[in-house]
Amino acid sequence: MFQQLVGKLPVGICVVDENYNIVFLNDFFIDRMESDHRSDYTDKPISELFPEQAKFLRRRIKSVFVLQHPSFSYWEQRPHIFPFKSSRPITGEETQMYQNMEIVPITSPEHGKLACIFLQDVTAQASYFIAQQELSLALKREHEEQLKLIKKLDSAQSQLIQAEKMASTGQLAAGIAHEINNPIGFVTANLNTLKDYTESLISICESVAEKAAQTDEKCQIFINDLLESNHFELLKEDMTPLLNESREGLERVRDIVENLKRFAIEESSGWQLMDLSETMLQMIELVSVQYKIPTYKLSCQPECVKIFCEPGGLKQALMNMLINAAQSIDKKGIVKVNVTANEQSVQIKIIDSGSGIEEHIIKKVFDPFFTTKPEGLGQGLGLSVAYTAIEKHQGTISVSSKPGVGSVFEVNLPVIDPEEE
Amino acid sequence: MSSTISLNEDQRDALQELMNISMGQAANSLAHLIETKIGISIPKISAVTPSELFSLINRSENAYYTRQSFLGDIQGEVMAVVSESGLTEVASLLEYEAPLSKSDVEETILELSNILAGACLAGLSNQLQLATNLNMPTLFSPNKASFVELNWQHSLVMEVQFDIELSSFSMRVVFCLDRTSLIKLTDTIDELLG
Repeated sequence: MFQQLVGKLPVGICVVDENYNIVFLNDFFIDRMESDHRSDYTDKPISELFPEQAKFLRRRIKSVFVLQHPSFSYWEQRPHIFPFKSSRPITGEETQMYQNMEIVPITSPEHGKLACIFLQDVTAQASYFIAQQELSLALKREHEEQLKLIKKLDSAQSQLIQAEKMASTGQLAAGIAHEINNPIGFVTANLNTLKDYTESLISICESVAEKAAQTDEKCQIFINDLLESNHFELLKEDMTPLLNESREGLERVRDIVENLKRFAIEESSGWQLMDLSETMLQMIELVSVQYKIPTYKLSCQPECVKIFCEPGGLKQALMNMLINAAQSIDKKGIVKVNVTANEQSVQIKIIDSGSGIEEHIIKKVFDPFFTTKPEGLGQGLGLSVAYTAIEKHQGTISVSSKPGVGSVFEVNLPVIDPEEE
Repeated sequence: MSSTISLNEDQRDALQELMNISMGQAANSLAHLIETKIGISIPKISAVTPSELFSLINRSENAYYTRQSFLGDIQGEVMAVVSESGLTEVASLLEYEAPLSKSDVEETILELSNILAGACLAGLSNQLQLATNLNMPTLFSPNKASFVELNWQHSLVMEVQFDIELSSFSMRVVFCLDRTSLIKLTDTIDELLG
């Protein structure tokens, strides 16, 4: 009965002696072996019957004989010790049987010390486990992608908010610029009138002083005292320059406001002809108000370059690059803008003698949300916005830089014919 | 039923001595198999709560963890904490060829734990004439398996450290017994002590 039982057990049983020769195999093993080995296996070395994992088997059997203590092998580490086919040759996806193995020491009066290999078919469990693992991996990947998407959405939202802020700031600036223009207008007019009046007043006073000598002594003393106590000589010298300086100051205010207005009220009505040299000049003036340290230079070849473009985007792009250049200079330095144009293309180079960009990050500078500025000070959008805008103009943008020496940003734009657009 | 576990001094001494012998046998077995010298620490015996056990196990960084249950006259689990360093040397002593694959590393760890845990358990069982059977060892990660939710209050643990002279390798084996097994163990020790 026991022999039948052992034969029918759903577990593989293989017994080997101390010379690694096979003493017994149950049906589980025999059914799965090559047919020519089936009848003739006793006393054959296990390495001959199962050469695939012979080394491993020998090692484990040795350990069992030496230590007289069971040894285990798990399918996850070593799935196929014996070259047996899957228990589901038709419907299963796996072709080989996944196996758990346990080798235990036993003894028999006939053979002395023996090692008994128990082999369990765990294909179903293993494939279920593997499927689960794949599933959880897929879920994890999906989850990560979603997290990335959420982050992107968050960023897009903050980008939108920023854009909104910029737009409203622009509108506000335009409104204020308009409001400032009115008082500037009448203050300038008044100053001009005031200058005329002042000149008249001064000449009146001078005539009076001149004529004083011809009057009587009392009157003469009165006039001289009056002029002296009011520091007439000083007034006469100071008044004109004071008025002139004030007028110059007002002119500067008017220029700034004008620049701001022109820049802020962006007629975002699409493509139009833009005077690039004029725009760069305005831009430099605007930037230099905020970043006073660098010396700014502009060269245009030819002197007037007009391009057909979308002014809003292009200006924003160039402005971002110019601000970056200005910000890279913290002590003394130059920001230079070179514009050159021929019939086919326009090249804009923005050169600075600032801190430069480290080599390992230079590839990332156009990436959205990449910034070297401290948190809260930069969103890492400037250059990526520039990149997108330049791309929209079918142009290219590139950068070369040396840390400690400076950076050159080069924009190449093809000349686009308004007729074609 | 009181939830605390107590051993009197005689029981503790006896158990300590038994462990010493078992661990010595375990070290010998391993030394014999891989043909190198092995050092063992003096076994530490204590009663722990789940969270104490967790901190006992989860003490080392860069380590692998295995667990292996045993059944029979006494029941419990053996946990092993295997150091990452020196593992390559030990694997080569076990005839694995470098470079080691992930499976090779895992198999080495499982085999080492099995050898040491098996030898310890066999030593203890033999001396006390108890029948025990060790099950298959598995890898686990104590970080994921926080012990707080386990449904026991106290367990007896016996801890010992093995070092292999040739390399920086070391390994801690922690035996845990459940309450019933502890009573069985102390009864057997009392019988032995007469």
